[in-house]
Amino acid sequence: MHIPDGFIAPQLYLPLYGIAAGLWAHGAKRVARDLDETTLPWLASLTAASFALSFVALPLPGGTSAHVTGVGLLAASFGVWNAFMAASLVFAIQALLFGDGGVTTLPLNALAMGFAGALAARGLFLALRRFHTGLALFLAGWIGLFLPALLIALALGAQPLIAHDAVGAPLYFPFGWAVTLPALLIPHALLGLGEGALTVLGGGLIERLRRRYRHD
Amino acid sequence: MTERGKFVAYLMTLFIVSWLTAPAWLAAGLGAALILCGRDAGRLLRRALLATVAFSGTVSLAYLAHSWWLGRPPPLGWLLAANLRVLLMALLTFLFIARVNLFQALAFSRRLSFLLVLAVSQSMGLRRTLAEFRLGLHSRSPRPAGIKARYRAAAHAAAWLLDRALANAHESAQAMQSRGMFR
Repeated sequence: MHIPDGFIAPQLYLPLYGIAAGLWAHGAKRVARDLDETTLPWLASLTAASFALSFVALPLPGGTSAHVTGVGLLAASFGVWNAFMAASLVFAIQALLFGDGGVTTLPLNALAMGFAGALAARGLFLALRRFHTGLALFLAGWIGLFLPALLIALALGAQPLIAHDAVGAPLYFPFGWAVTLPALLIPHALLGLGEGALTVLGGGLIERLRRRYRHD
Repeated sequence: MTERGKFVAYLMTLFIVSWLTAPAWLAAGLGAALILCGRDAGRLLRRALLATVAFSGTVSLAYLAHSWWLGRPPPLGWLLAANLRVLLMALLTFLFIARVNLFQALAFSRRLSFLLVLAVSQSMGLRRTLAEFRLGLHSRSPRPAGIKARYRAAAHAAAWLLDRALANAHESAQAMQSRGMFR
């Protein structure tokens, strides 16, 4: 479920846009440095894969399902900046072409999921892969889902403190950290197990495919 | 007005609306947006409602229950203002989507346009095939599929998706090379 426009106060989304803009500029420079007929389709395909991964339903007991983010998989396999730029493009496409999510929530999603989630996933993967590649991929997938949930819970829970009226009533998202932290962290800690399992599967597959296309 | 001008106008309007907290101003804004929608008003309002109702509805009901639990009066002012703001901003987005060609709005950058066209066209294809995978699982299962079958199907779908995405990248790169792009 994406956060629509209108729940995040400008006092938060404007500084987040400032931070995200700096990272986007740096990311674009890094990607553009070797943006050619090989890297541009790569980035486009990663974006498309990241977008489509969000439509893969992760089955949960009781007949319900949640959706994969793929951030851990993209970061572990293609690096932080590629994952960040692809995820940011996905959020922009979802907001501006499908009305899913929002323009004012874009920097929060991009920074939490695309950057912090990708950075943690990549770091954990690089640190642990020498011991056990499968475990490293699993934990990359788990942290790639859990850390963004923590950051989004913190951002949402900060809304009543950031924007309130004269008597202290909230003007945007109404719940504080006492509600947002358990509401987001408990389900995402469990959903991360599924995301981790799919990251193990996808990571192995990507390596095999890379070898195949390299020799093609 | 050019497509790029409309894009800037949309972003500016969204920015102004995000500051509004008075229900009267938000209701006036919603009225103005509906007038701008013209004959599409009903369709776009429905889409905006459907896109936001899950999150807004959950938060609104939870906040109402929370206030009741604490013995406070119902937060009618917040309910009105927050839901009007969310609906107005979503309506503006759907009006933008209906009236503005995003590809033309971003045509000032050749590479950004390439990237967007490639990403969106591939996304659409991948999404359509994933929907077919889902329908395939339903049609193969006389009874609702169990969690193991659904997990296996999700893993196959993700694997196919990554395979297809990498193949697309490879094919697009070869197509661009053969046409002398970036030279």
